[in-house]
Amino acid sequence: MLADTWHLFNKYMRITMRMPMWTLFTLIQPLIWLLIFGQLFKDFVQLGEQDYMGFMVPGILVMTVLFGSSWSGVSLLREITAGTVDKMLVSPVSRVAIVLSRVLHSSAQVIAQAVIMLLVAWILGATLNMNPIYLLMAMLIVFLLGVGFAALSNGFAIALQREEPLVMIGNLMTLPLIFFSSALVPEQFMPDWIQLISAANPISYAVDAIRAVLSTTPDLAIFGQGLMVLTLFAGASLAWAVTAFNALRD
Amino acid sequence: MTNLAIQIKGLTKIYPPDNRAVDALDLEVKEGEIMALLGPNGAGKSTTIRAASTLCGFDDGNVIVSGYDVDTHSLEVRQAIGVVAQQTGIDYFLTGRENMVLQGHLYRMKKADINARIEELSSYFELDNSIDNLVSAYSGGMRRKLDIACALIHRPRILFLDEPTLGLDIKNRKILWKHIDKLNKEFGLTILLTTHYLEEADNLSHQVAIINNGKVQVIDTPDALKNSIHGDSITVTFDDVGKNEQAFFHYAQQQSYIKGTTWEDNKLHLYVEDGGANVAALMAVATDNDAKIANLSLSRPTLDDVFLKYTGTSILDTKEEEGDEWWKQWAGKGGNTGKWKSQWGEGDSDSEGGDDNQAWKNSDWAKENSGVNPGDQKREEAQQNGAWSEGKQWPEQQSGNNTSGEHKSQKWDQSQQGDWQNNEWNKNRDGGEK
Repeated sequence: MLADTWHLFNKYMRITMRMPMWTLFTLIQPLIWLLIFGQLFKDFVQLGEQDYMGFMVPGILVMTVLFGSSWSGVSLLREITAGTVDKMLVSPVSRVAIVLSRVLHSSAQVIAQAVIMLLVAWILGATLNMNPIYLLMAMLIVFLLGVGFAALSNGFAIALQREEPLVMIGNLMTLPLIFFSSALVPEQFMPDWIQLISAANPISYAVDAIRAVLSTTPDLAIFGQGLMVLTLFAGASLAWAVTAFNALRD
Repeated sequence: MTNLAIQIKGLTKIYPPDNRAVDALDLEVKEGEIMALLGPNGAGKSTTIRAASTLCGFDDGNVIVSGYDVDTHSLEVRQAIGVVAQQTGIDYFLTGRENMVLQGHLYRMKKADINARIEELSSYFELDNSIDNLVSAYSGGMRRKLDIACALIHRPRILFLDEPTLGLDIKNRKILWKHIDKLNKEFGLTILLTTHYLEEADNLSHQVAIINNGKVQVIDTPDALKNSIHGDSITVTFDDVGKNEQAFFHYAQQQSYIKGTTWEDNKLHLYVEDGGANVAALMAVATDNDAKIANLSLSRPTLDDVFLKYTGTSILDTKEEEGDEWWKQWAGKGGNTGKWKSQWGEGDSDSEGGDDNQAWKNSDWAKENSGVNPGDQKREEAQQNGAWSEGKQWPEQQSGNNTSGEHKSQKWDQSQQGDWQNNEWNKNRDGGEK
């Protein structure tokens, strides 16, 4: 299974490398948020010693992951239409590897995007902890969130079986999930009912965990909690996507 | 005794709610044989191939491929077969070589073996010079050849080809036929293919199975099938089928030289002994009844006549499935295969178990003449009985020929000769005999 995953992952990476602009296009929206929102709200939101830009960066990273990984299901539908999935299914390749390779490819792509966003934010003057160990820890969270949402996107692709509703659901989910989390504003700023939703939102745990390690005063307890929740989220989403894919038989 | 490469017994596939795409289908393909599945859209050809290649489950029946049950030994079956589906399935953003390398890896082949096989296959399919180019730069014929090469990388014993030449021009089609034929002759590859092209089934296959409504109607060699249609084939096309034309049909089928008749919308197919000699007599019957013939053609029976006999529709009139590139199919349509189609397809002509071959029933002519036209009844009967078989004649013919001496004695009306001369008399319809 691992060898199959590797070969298929390799294929997807090769195709991505041949179309680098596509990876960059999905950065446009998070970049606009970073540049415009960051500038607009920097004086409006008072966070004591921390600058709003620095506070907002983990939220933007998570947004980048959501925008990037939600396309994974669309490309699965494209492969089904093109007959590529059938070609794999008539070979002895592991079915788990087909899903896993897609999800890992999507996660690798969002990590690359997150690194670019992080660099842009740093250049723009956001206060971030650029210790490589903490950066790696932040990327681990980005990876797990990417796995979770790419798996969800693939699962929804199989359940919905059509591109339009999949894109619509992706767009519908992204912004509410961002707003119902601590991505853009601290939890204490939220009304009680949004705080309740936020507590059940994996995005909040991802944002908090990334914020905890990118802060100049890292908090490993919050990171640990986020890591645990996101590992569970990624595992459950992946299991659902694999189950949906295994049922993909006329 | 020749071993069976594929043995299908009672295969039944039902799509919800009650769409029997394949209905108790039986099929046997011997090792080293090329079998062509010929049938209208929705006849169940692709579903049969999907079931035999482990791509779809089925509701009933037994499918043994290369000695393995597809239900219980799917991995062994996958290792023994190569599949080329209607959609090429190759990645356009990879090179030909990269596609083949990936395919080799998916079959757990060793790197050296993959490389050796790529050299061998790219040379065989004359892709040597383009194997390192991106597939997006390939022509349709080259993509199809690469697709087949990919399916052969692991040296399968059986090759499934679902509409292998769909969308290709005649030149590329013939090139591909040459390769397929060579694969069978030189390497003993067993091939099960579906096709819409009569010439393809005729030229390539050892056996042709005509499928309709999810069942095999007849299996035989192309020659035996054509010989089962006695005499010549005369196709009479009317602008409009009214009382005169029905009277012509009624009297025509009583002529001793008429061996069989089939209606197809406003076309009447007549199977005639010594067609060349009897066409004038037939025209006399038309003149006697004042039947307005728009077109008449005479030919030796082709597989289309066999097809018509067993399915009630001409394959030349069946809508050809689009051979569009995937992105054209993709635009606004979503998925286009299997489960996708069955749930989202909007009257897709390719949907298995569809009623395309019943389309004539909905034609204006059929509605207007419901219960009137004898051809209608014959077709109904033919479909219910699995079509008429060799030697079987309609009751009118069995009960005696030439009951109408009056018509027989009537002379050819010279005044009609101009009309007759304007009619097309093409002895080489469909390219004539091979």
